[in-house]
Amino acid sequence: MLETLKAFFSFSDPSIVSVTLGAVLLSASSAVVGTFTFLKKKALVGDAVAHAVLPGICLAFLLAGNKNPLFLLLGAFITGWISLVLIDWITARSKIKEDTAIALILSVFFGIGILLLTRIQHMGNAAQTGLQSFLFGKAAALVGQDLLIFGIVAVLLLCTVALFFKELKLIAFDEAFAQATGLPVRGLNLLLTTLTVLAVVTGIQAVGVVLMAAMLITPAAAARFWTDSVLRMTFIAAFMGAFAGLAGAFVSYAAPSMPTGPWIVMIISIIALFSFFFAPQRGILYRQYQQRKLQRQIMEENVLKELYHLGEKDKGAHKGRTIDDLIKERYFPEKQLRTALLRLRQKGWVERQNGHWKFTEAGQQKGRRVVKLHRLWEAYLSTYLKIAPDHVHEDAETIEHIITPELEAELEHMLDFPERDPHQSKIPY
Amino acid sequence: MKVEVPNPVVEFHDLTVSYDKKPVLWNIDMTLPQGKLIGIIGPNGAGKSTLIKAAMGLLPLGSGYVRLFDQPLEVVRHRVSYVPQRESVDWDFPTSVMDIVLMGRYGKLGLLRRPSKKDKAMALSCLEKVGMEAFRKRQISQLSGGQQQRVFLARALAQEADLYFMDEPFAGVDAATETSILGILQDLTAQGKTVIVVHHDLQSAAEFFDWIILLNMRLVATGPIAEVFTNSLLQETYGGKLTVLSEISELIKKRSVPSREKY
Repeated sequence: MLETLKAFFSFSDPSIVSVTLGAVLLSASSAVVGTFTFLKKKALVGDAVAHAVLPGICLAFLLAGNKNPLFLLLGAFITGWISLVLIDWITARSKIKEDTAIALILSVFFGIGILLLTRIQHMGNAAQTGLQSFLFGKAAALVGQDLLIFGIVAVLLLCTVALFFKELKLIAFDEAFAQATGLPVRGLNLLLTTLTVLAVVTGIQAVGVVLMAAMLITPAAAARFWTDSVLRMTFIAAFMGAFAGLAGAFVSYAAPSMPTGPWIVMIISIIALFSFFFAPQRGILYRQYQQRKLQRQIMEENVLKELYHLGEKDKGAHKGRTIDDLIKERYFPEKQLRTALLRLRQKGWVERQNGHWKFTEAGQQKGRRVVKLHRLWEAYLSTYLKIAPDHVHEDAETIEHIITPELEAELEHMLDFPERDPHQSKIPY
Repeated sequence: MKVEVPNPVVEFHDLTVSYDKKPVLWNIDMTLPQGKLIGIIGPNGAGKSTLIKAAMGLLPLGSGYVRLFDQPLEVVRHRVSYVPQRESVDWDFPTSVMDIVLMGRYGKLGLLRRPSKKDKAMALSCLEKVGMEAFRKRQISQLSGGQQQRVFLARALAQEADLYFMDEPFAGVDAATETSILGILQDLTAQGKTVIVVHHDLQSAAEFFDWIILLNMRLVATGPIAEVFTNSLLQETYGGKLTVLSEISELIKKRSVPSREKY
């Protein structure tokens, strides 16, 4: 394995260099363009274009009689572009909604493409061999003149996005404002459409018509998890795309029977899945961790609150209580109560003395605050929202855990430090 | 009730606008004065937003025209600012408060040029005016409704316009924000700028505006608040829908009738 890695990264074989370079450039440029289709919420449009370029490729081949990449590119570009114009036209001029229009165009164009492709394959023309590789891509064919052409287009895409970055960002965020401010919104939308088509047209060489949408959208969707800035998102998407391209090229080098394109898509999908679960702030695991933290905080505050209640009842604020005392005051599952008490002891809020739990000074303050917030909120609900006293408790049970010190001060001020809550319990300050 | 003004900042001439083929504004014809805080008032579906969108060239006009500063919009665009409804954009967009305000400079910058240090300083001073400078690096999804509204206002201020069209800038803001937004708008009019605001709360409208446009698919009234904000005109705006007008609109939509005959 290490040997293969070494051999691959020495880039001694010129065809490896060219395939790898091609895969990296194509994946990165489609990821960059895809970032803006993603931000404009036009993810499906990329898929439609990808399928719609197939008839163009076949027609170009039929007309030219050979596989000159320039001709095929041009053909692909034309039908891809027509498909997008048609989607817009159908959406604007008929009662058909955009999603339906996309589905229609995608299937009709792809159907025609397959029809032409089958026809070509039965013509017995030797030059047609390999045309079907546009369906699933053939990165290994990225050598010589082809690489040069596709490479130039990819670099062109990257430069155009860099040049129009601020405009593309604005039309993705707020098109009406962009138009009102005098930017040529129609022209910019046309530019983005053209870039999307170009990205698809070049990308299909590597991953094929069917998988192309993944190359446009997946890196952007994955990158969104890691940042809150369009600029950084674009770079992260480009980097992820480039990495997938490189890794895909390596896999098919290490195992020659493995196709490059599908592997690129596999790898970018794994990156996306990883981001989905593990990204900070937005990832699922982080969110679950935050949820658990909140649950634990609520549990701890409830225990402190009940200790305080018990103290209120028999005027023994620092008296020791058994687990049973606590459960009798308010039901807790015993196991969770015990672990919560242990955590509270670690934080220095409670102490244990021969099986009895009691407040420390800091813990008592904490418990008092929770009780205060609970009763303050009840007072607020009944004074300002005119909710009957017997209906305010449940709500306060939740709200007592989330009131911030600022809101606490505001409530105290608004209610003018009320002495008692609606149930006539004293509010402790 | 229609008060015309000499040398108007905005002139609507016989404007008819359709939305999705359905006419929502009929024959709006009025002139608006300079340096006033102007409120567009009317019930839901009266065409308030449509009117300012049409003025900003965001909707095709069925017939008639709009002139700003006695010139077509295209010529004076850089002197006009538009604040869309807060809900019209996705606030989960990956960008910062400062970035949004900088967008107000794009019109002056033109294509390809990036915001300079001066633009950034200018944007920052606009954020200060709305009291949001502490939030400049904040991601926009973390803002409350009132803060979002203030960021949009800062972006409009960054445009350094002479005429402002604002779509519901007071919607969903708390009392304190309302006061501060109103203060900023009054500052603008004190400098001789004109601010036209879509508003739906009648009670506050009476306190906010110098000039009122009452709208319900047609122009009910336009003029200084003292003359227009009367019970009978409000009744005419809010009470009794013009059923025939709505029915004709539906019919036009259903049969795709062109809004004007060709010859």
